[in-house]
Amino acid sequence: MTHIAFTLNGAETALHCAPDRPLVTILREDLGLTGTKLACGVGRCGACMVLLDGAAVNACLLMAWQVAGRRVDTIEGVRKDPRFAPMLAALAQANSFQCGYCAAGVTIALAGALGGPEDPDDAALTTALEGNICRCTGYQSILHGAQDARARLRAERST
Amino acid sequence: MDILHPATLSDALAALREPGARAVAGGTALQVDWSQGKARPDILVTLGALGLDTVQMTEGQCLRIGATVTLDVLDQNALVAGHLPLLACALRDVAAPSVRRLATLGGQLGWGNGCLLPALLALGARVGHTTEQGPRDTPLAQWLAAPAGLVLWLDVPVQPVGARWCWRKVGLRAAFTPSIIAVAGVMCPSHGARLAAGGGAVRPQGLPASATALESGADMPTLRTLLANEIDAPDCPFRSRAYRKRVGAAALVAGLGLGRGLGQGTQATAAQGPLPKDANPAGLRPLARNLSSPGWHMRPDMPAKVAGDAGYLTDLRTPDMLVGRILRAGRPHARILSIDTRAAQAMPGVHAVVTHADIAGLNAFGIMRQDQPALCADVVRHQGDAVAAVAAIDAQTADAALAAIVVDYTDLPPVTDPATALVPSSPALHAGGNLVAEFGLDRGEPATAFATAAHVVEDTYVTPRQMHAFMETEGGWCAPTPDGGVIVAVGGQHGARDREQLARILALPEDKIRVITSPTGGGFGGKDELTVQPALALLAIKAGRAVRLHLSREESTLAGVKRNPMRISMRTACDAVGHLLAQEVHVLADCGAYASLSPAVVETAMEHAAGPYRIAHVTSHGRLVYTNNGTGGAFRGFGANQMTFAIECQIDRLAAACGLDPAEMRRRNLRVPGSPGYLGHRVAGSERLHEMVQAAAASALWRPVTTTDNDIHATGMALNYQGNGLGSLPHDSAEGRLSLAADGKIEVACGLDEMGQGLLPALQAAVATHLGCARSDVRAIVGDTAHSPDSGSTSASRGGYVAWQIGARTGPALAQRLLDAAAGILDTPADDLRIVAGGIAHKGQNSATPPMLDFARLAAHLGGERLPAETTAFDFPKTHYTAGNARFVHCFGATLARVSIDRVTGMVRVMELEMHTAAGPVIDLSAYLGQIEGGVVQGLGMTLSEDTLITRGHMITRNLDSYILPGIRDVPAQFHVTALEGLDADDTLGPRGVGELGIGAVTAAIANAVGAGLGRWPATTPIPPEVILNMLEGRS
Repeated sequence: MTHIAFTLNGAETALHCAPDRPLVTILREDLGLTGTKLACGVGRCGACMVLLDGAAVNACLLMAWQVAGRRVDTIEGVRKDPRFAPMLAALAQANSFQCGYCAAGVTIALAGALGGPEDPDDAALTTALEGNICRCTGYQSILHGAQDARARLRAERST
Repeated sequence: MDILHPATLSDALAALREPGARAVAGGTALQVDWSQGKARPDILVTLGALGLDTVQMTEGQCLRIGATVTLDVLDQNALVAGHLPLLACALRDVAAPSVRRLATLGGQLGWGNGCLLPALLALGARVGHTTEQGPRDTPLAQWLAAPAGLVLWLDVPVQPVGARWCWRKVGLRAAFTPSIIAVAGVMCPSHGARLAAGGGAVRPQGLPASATALESGADMPTLRTLLANEIDAPDCPFRSRAYRKRVGAAALVAGLGLGRGLGQGTQATAAQGPLPKDANPAGLRPLARNLSSPGWHMRPDMPAKVAGDAGYLTDLRTPDMLVGRILRAGRPHARILSIDTRAAQAMPGVHAVVTHADIAGLNAFGIMRQDQPALCADVVRHQGDAVAAVAAIDAQTADAALAAIVVDYTDLPPVTDPATALVPSSPALHAGGNLVAEFGLDRGEPATAFATAAHVVEDTYVTPRQMHAFMETEGGWCAPTPDGGVIVAVGGQHGARDREQLARILALPEDKIRVITSPTGGGFGGKDELTVQPALALLAIKAGRAVRLHLSREESTLAGVKRNPMRISMRTACDAVGHLLAQEVHVLADCGAYASLSPAVVETAMEHAAGPYRIAHVTSHGRLVYTNNGTGGAFRGFGANQMTFAIECQIDRLAAACGLDPAEMRRRNLRVPGSPGYLGHRVAGSERLHEMVQAAAASALWRPVTTTDNDIHATGMALNYQGNGLGSLPHDSAEGRLSLAADGKIEVACGLDEMGQGLLPALQAAVATHLGCARSDVRAIVGDTAHSPDSGSTSASRGGYVAWQIGARTGPALAQRLLDAAAGILDTPADDLRIVAGGIAHKGQNSATPPMLDFARLAAHLGGERLPAETTAFDFPKTHYTAGNARFVHCFGATLARVSIDRVTGMVRVMELEMHTAAGPVIDLSAYLGQIEGGVVQGLGMTLSEDTLITRGHMITRNLDSYILPGIRDVPAQFHVTALEGLDADDTLGPRGVGELGIGAVTAAIANAVGAGLGRWPATTPIPPEVILNMLEGRS
């Protein structure tokens, strides 16, 4: 067992846990943050993605010791961040998801891709979603929502 | 586990000398190893503080890349982009961006089989590593042969300007794929050639003999043979050794521009299929994603889903909740001698351990026949069989308790081949023997008809054990209630039936059991049968406390139902001008260990044996067989899509034999609208098959077959003909309720489940249409036996019809009651009023002005007791045929695929997809489109990559790393869907369901496109690339 301190959704957070405990388990089981989903546990589906210092990574591949001193933002943080409000609205309006179980992970992947200084083109958006499996949609609605999210964020920035 | 963070290299080396210590950088490869059962080290020594995270140009014109540089950083590094284009290219094929942010270059070496190793070998990289005498560098090939010391950096010589180079990773899908083989090569006059292979199961290796031959100018065929001989590659459950060698060789030859990858074909084009001379049928509407169109409505559940706040049943945590775990047999077939739970029960924190001895009622369930034990008592019949379960204060305690349960087994020989299972000497898995069900049909004189035929085609079509792979695995929570009952909240597809089955097991009256089934994170048929509910309910009752349980993906893979693999042997004959004459069909389907809905799946397959075609002389015979290969059951398409694969490919093969185009062949044989169905039963009207053929014929996808050095592009089509509803034999009815709620919402209650298909918007649309209010006035209450009536199962494409009918059958009556009530309040005759968005308006009132009386005020006026409600109960439309199960309602479609067949790898990709549909009026545009697109892609996966591999009853497939779902790079860039919505004038049935339409014919469309391109048809799915390579080379 070890002590880990990190910033979770803007708040300083201290944990006492096994150092190799996966972040996704810490979030869902220890902290009750169930917005982050667990669907494979081996980094292959992207349902558990979180932002680690602003970049999307799989929380199931992050051991507790790896987040020490870092900034982690989960969907619970992203949904309250006004910067991302236009993106969430675009994904919702586009009905980007069906069952929705992949949605938080996809939203995080897009937050990572769209939250940076550079505006990703369509190819970069697709690349950003290579690690997210959606079993319902066939991805068309997700891509459409992502493109609309990009447009809304662009419009926001230019005003 | 201890984590050490040394600040200096000497501290790191000292730490690594501790027994059980292991260096770690990103940890991604280590965790893959752990997930595959390798032991965790006692100590992890992190390298993050050692300053090994830089990329620099050395004086020797090498890039020195630190061991802890992440692949993502490397991908964005300008030096790499400028000087190592081969590495830059290879980096993007490793894992996915999110993983590349953690994974490091050193990890590729530490792991020993990273995908990048062949690239680094071809580039002539040297490894900087520690030795007893201090740092030194060793050529990578040499280091890999005897890994020593701690890897500090790699020195990678810059690629010579003007050098030819190539990189190719061949996997199982387009991106984020396990590696089957990866090859790399660099060649230039000044530096000579360096070739390498590796990736996944292939050990990283240089290919010096081939490189020498290349330098000395060997010709292409010689080089390919040399390479194939030199590459050392193993077999694996996915691909053969021969395939790896062949593809590795071809990829290097093609990649270095030495000739085309495979085959003797020249660049050529040939006409194919009907030319776009037909006009589309009148009324065919492209379904576009136009968010500003009035037909586009945001789903009521969408904002919460995007925000990760949808409240799945596996998400609930309360302070007193226990965590449940299920003990799986882990062996395919065995007798249970004893189960000892004493140690588990005695563990602190364990609140309940249950076995078969705790079952008060019937220890058996199953929708069609109760042959599956809730918890095994005497025999286990597949690896995922549940034997015991525990509930404890937390997951660790539950896991420990599970490990403390001692089950003594005697293994029995597994029955794994359906044909062998039918041999009398084979062990019987159930009392009645291994033949679960058998279906036959004989009509006319097939033998005579075959004898007179001009053309006969025959093949055996093989379909996979597809996994539903819903993103939310099976799980939820269960809590005892004060009245001695339970609340069972587990994602499902028919709460009332789950309740009925649970009542039998728990020996509780149904009214003591409340089943909540929505929202569910995907079902696709895989949650139609009970999943974890029995074990969970037994735990909650025994513990007297709420218990939650959520299967890991591994456990879900092991235990969940799968699509029944089928072998469909089909022989079909036509005359010289393409009229179908006769057909003979034999189906052998793998049931797995328990029946569930599998008998109905096979019967449905047999019902679709002729597709939508007239065939006078038929004989068909289908058998379903118990095995120890996991367990099967319902899956979207329900047997029809498998059979459609067979019949639609037969049609294309016969068309080719007759010299007819695919559309004309179909036109000549389509069933006559209004004629009896395949079994001779009456079917519903509004048939649109001719229109679907017309739309397909008019498609822009019919471009000539195009052959290039790298690939062949071709187009194929197939018709969809999918029965809706459970059929003529099962009970199939629905209830619904519509009411004005106290808060002024129009509340529609329906027992179906929202699993993503769009039940909520469908109900909103149905009510808004038939009541006259806005969609936003409507609140849907679904998937909860306490608050919604039994509307039947959320399956069999029945939900769209049911939702619409609930609106149609209750909306007008409720509207009248609301108007009557409003009339009293407004002192206006009800006839002068109408329902509008938000409430009640005067008929003459401008629609832009607010209603005279909004629903909330109306509800307040009426008070709780007098709130009007309407209920309805109806049967799903049926045919009266009882000699077998037959569908009355059908929906129709045509699916077209433009594929690319890779001449190097044999892999097929769908580049463009077009689907025309005819299923009556579109209830909700977004949901309709989503069902079609999602269904198509699920079918695409089944056709090209998805299979649950089992060897001798043991699952090879364990997780999503060995089950290959389509990712975003696997779906067609061009994807067009249309709807032909009109119904016959006398058709009162309304919209049909489209849940299974998308998946129905895509397999056949892809196979037919391959057939058009190669003149040969793949009959096994997922289509093995090796078979395609053989076809390309003209081998059988």
